[in-house]
Amino acid sequence: MKKMEKTASLSRRKFIAGAGALGGLLLTGCDTDIYLPPKIRGGLMGVADVLTMASQRFLLSNQALVQEHDVSEITKNFPVWNQANPDDEEFQRLLTGGFQEWKLPIGGLVNRPVSLSLEELKRLPRRTQITSHICEQGWSAIAQWTGAPLLQVLQAAGGVTAEARYVVIDTVDGWYEAYDMFDVVHPQTILAYGMNGKDLPLGNGAPVRLRVERHCGYKNLKFVKSIQVVSSVEDIRRGTGGINSDNDWHWYAGA
Amino acid sequence: MTNTASGKEPKKWIYRHSYNVRICHWIVVISFAYLVVSGVNIFLDFPELYWGKVGFQGYPAAFKLSDWGISWEEAGAMGNRRWGRNYHFLFAWVFVINGFIYLSWNLWRKQFYRKMLPRRDELSLSHLKVEIINHLRFRKPQGDRARGYNVLQKISYLLVLFLLFPFMILSGLAQMPAFTAISPELIDLFGGRQTARTLHVVATVVLLLFVIIHVIEVFVVGVVNAMRSMITGKYVLPEEEQEQETT
Repeated sequence: MKKMEKTASLSRRKFIAGAGALGGLLLTGCDTDIYLPPKIRGGLMGVADVLTMASQRFLLSNQALVQEHDVSEITKNFPVWNQANPDDEEFQRLLTGGFQEWKLPIGGLVNRPVSLSLEELKRLPRRTQITSHICEQGWSAIAQWTGAPLLQVLQAAGGVTAEARYVVIDTVDGWYEAYDMFDVVHPQTILAYGMNGKDLPLGNGAPVRLRVERHCGYKNLKFVKSIQVVSSVEDIRRGTGGINSDNDWHWYAGA
Repeated sequence: MTNTASGKEPKKWIYRHSYNVRICHWIVVISFAYLVVSGVNIFLDFPELYWGKVGFQGYPAAFKLSDWGISWEEAGAMGNRRWGRNYHFLFAWVFVINGFIYLSWNLWRKQFYRKMLPRRDELSLSHLKVEIINHLRFRKPQGDRARGYNVLQKISYLLVLFLLFPFMILSGLAQMPAFTAISPELIDLFGGRQTARTLHVVATVVLLLFVIIHVIEVFVVGVVNAMRSMITGKYVLPEEEQEQETT
C-alpha cells in the first residue's frame, strides 16, 4: 500500500491538527446514525431501506476492504456510461487547458477551507486499488483506480469540525450526492485522478471522480466539481442527501 | 360448496394446513409475484446476461434479449428500473422475514420432519414410478392417501424451500456491491457477480416452472377444495371412486 507516501507535503502541524479533528470524525462513524439514511422515505419503502442499510452497515462495521483484483483481471474497453463529456462552458475551457487551471474547492464545516489544484491533489497521500465498478443496472467491470483518499483531502482542509455529518460532492453536470462519515473514513473511498495507470479519461469523469467502492455506480460520481462538509442535508435541493434519492432511489446504494 | 358429496358416507374433513403454513403461503405468493415483476423490470433495463466477474454492453454475452427480437431500446422502454429496484428490495425483505418465521415455526413443530420428509418406502423405484404415472395421468389422490403430501410433492417442496429459495437469496446478495466487502467468498462461490446474476435469472425460471405445475395440480385435485384448504385449512378427503380404479 502506498497510503503514507508523500505525507511530507503536509506540514507536521497541519497533520496533527487534522488528525485531531478526524478523531472526532471517526467517532461519528461509530454513532448509531450510520444505520439510517439522512431522510427516511415514507411507508414500507422506508422500512425496507432502513433494514437494508442497517443490516449491511452492521456487517460492514469492521470497515473491511472490498475485494481487490489482479492486474490481469482489468477490463479492456471499460464502458463509458451516462455523461461522457459535460456540456459546460467552464468545464470545456478547463478541459482544453488540460485541467491546469482546475481547482477543487473544499468548504463548509472544515477548519481551513481550501481549493486544491490537480497537482496539489496528486501530491497528497495516494491509494491505488483494482476494484469492480458495479452499476445498479446490472453491468460490472474492473479497473485500477489511483487517487487521494477522501479523508486525506479533508485533512488538507484542516480536518472537519465537530458538527460535520455529511460530505456533499457536486459535479460539473449538476449531480450531487452526500456521503456519511462511515463511507468517508473508509480507506478505499478515494478521489481518483488515475485509471489503469493513466490520467482519468474524459468519459470516465476527468479530471477527478469519486470511488466509493461499497456502493453502486450511481454513488460513484464523475466530474467532481466541489466538496462541502455539512451537518445536515435538509437545505440542499430536495433535502434527501443526493440527486438519486431526490428522485426516489435508495439513498444507500450498497444493495 | 358441499354439494359435490355423493351422499353415501358423511364427508371426511381434515385440517390439512396449519394457520402458519396458510398465512406464510399467501405472503410468499404476493412477495414472489412482486419479486418476479420487479425483477423483470430491472432486467429489461439491461437485457443481457454474462458469465464471470464482469459483463457490460459489448462484452460477450450468455444471453441477449435482442436475439429474441426485442431490441435494447424496446426493452428499456418496457422496464422501469427505479420502480423495480424499490419494490424488489422491499419484497425481498417481506420474503426473507416471512421465510424465517415459516422455517422456524415448522422446524420447531417438527412439521418438515412429519409432513415433508419422504419415507423410505416412498422412495422405492416402484413407488416413484406409480406416482409419476399418476401425475402424468392427472389422477388425484383419494381417501387416506390424500391426507398428506405425495412423494413427488414432498421432494419438490423440499427442493424449493431448501435449495431454490436460499439460492435466490444468496445469488441476489452476491450482486450487491457492499458484499464485495462483507463476503467476497460469496461472490467467488458463484464464480463472479455476473454469473450470480445469470443464475439468479435461471433459478427464477425454474421457480416459475414450479409455480406453473403447482397451479396445474391445484386444478387436478380440485380448485375449490385446494383453495379452501389453503385459506381455511379445511380439506375434504376425496372419496374412493369406483370408475377411477378401472381406468
